[in-house]
Amino acid sequence: MSLDLKINQNGNGAVTLLIEGDIDMSSSPLVRTQLTDLFKKNQKAIIVDLSKVAYVDSSGIATLVEGLQWSHANNTKFRLVCLTPMVKDVFEIARLLTVFEVFESHKEALEGV
Amino acid sequence: MAESVKLTIPSDPKYFSLVRKVVFHLLTSHAVSRDLIPRLVLCIDEACSNIIKYSYGDCNDQPIEMSFSLSENLFEIKIRDFGKQCDPKDIKPRSIHEIKPGGLGTYFINEIMDEVKYCTNRDKGTLLTMCKDLKGEPTSIRKEIG
Repeated sequence: MSLDLKINQNGNGAVTLLIEGDIDMSSSPLVRTQLTDLFKKNQKAIIVDLSKVAYVDSSGIATLVEGLQWSHANNTKFRLVCLTPMVKDVFEIARLLTVFEVFESHKEALEGV
Repeated sequence: MAESVKLTIPSDPKYFSLVRKVVFHLLTSHAVSRDLIPRLVLCIDEACSNIIKYSYGDCNDQPIEMSFSLSENLFEIKIRDFGKQCDPKDIKPRSIHEIKPGGLGTYFINEIMDEVKYCTNRDKGTLLTMCKDLKGEPTSIRKEIG
């Protein structure tokens, strides 16, 4: 299963990372590398769009937790948007839904950036 | 009578999507709850990830043997590796209250499956057996209700 990553600039210092595909042990390093690059660019906010992610495992969750930790260190907003049911379920099992800023839509995710 | 499917893959995560497809197909064709299927698939994925990381030390050409048995009420998964053994007492999930990357795989397995057994009573490797009662609610949902 291949993973596709797309970057969209939102024009207000926020950038959206759209992830398409399954995030597992083979693909999570690609997401990590992309997030590392985005944090190096000192974005005001990084919004991770998970609407095209049908599957995530613990390595994917760990990558997003790392992103959250980098965001605290860099004073960057780090938000997740449009979680699919499977992804949301995994976050719920891990009790992480309240740890991240999670939004239902891009419009909501971009508010207050 | 239980139906059984056997699968052997190299210890390379690029084969995980193939395993997911096989298990997904097997469970949907037996009308297992749509809510439960992704959770069961996740446990198999996490078990294979742990084998690659800890038993085979990230070596990608070693065998992982799996069998999936389905009866009316029970899904039994057996996963065998031939790598480094560890004491089952040392296989512990991280505390769910710690917010840090890593250590979640074992937590997911213990949270979702009803029975998890590691058997190292052999010359090489480990046999992991995981069972799930298909007529019960998903474990974490049951805990939330309780």
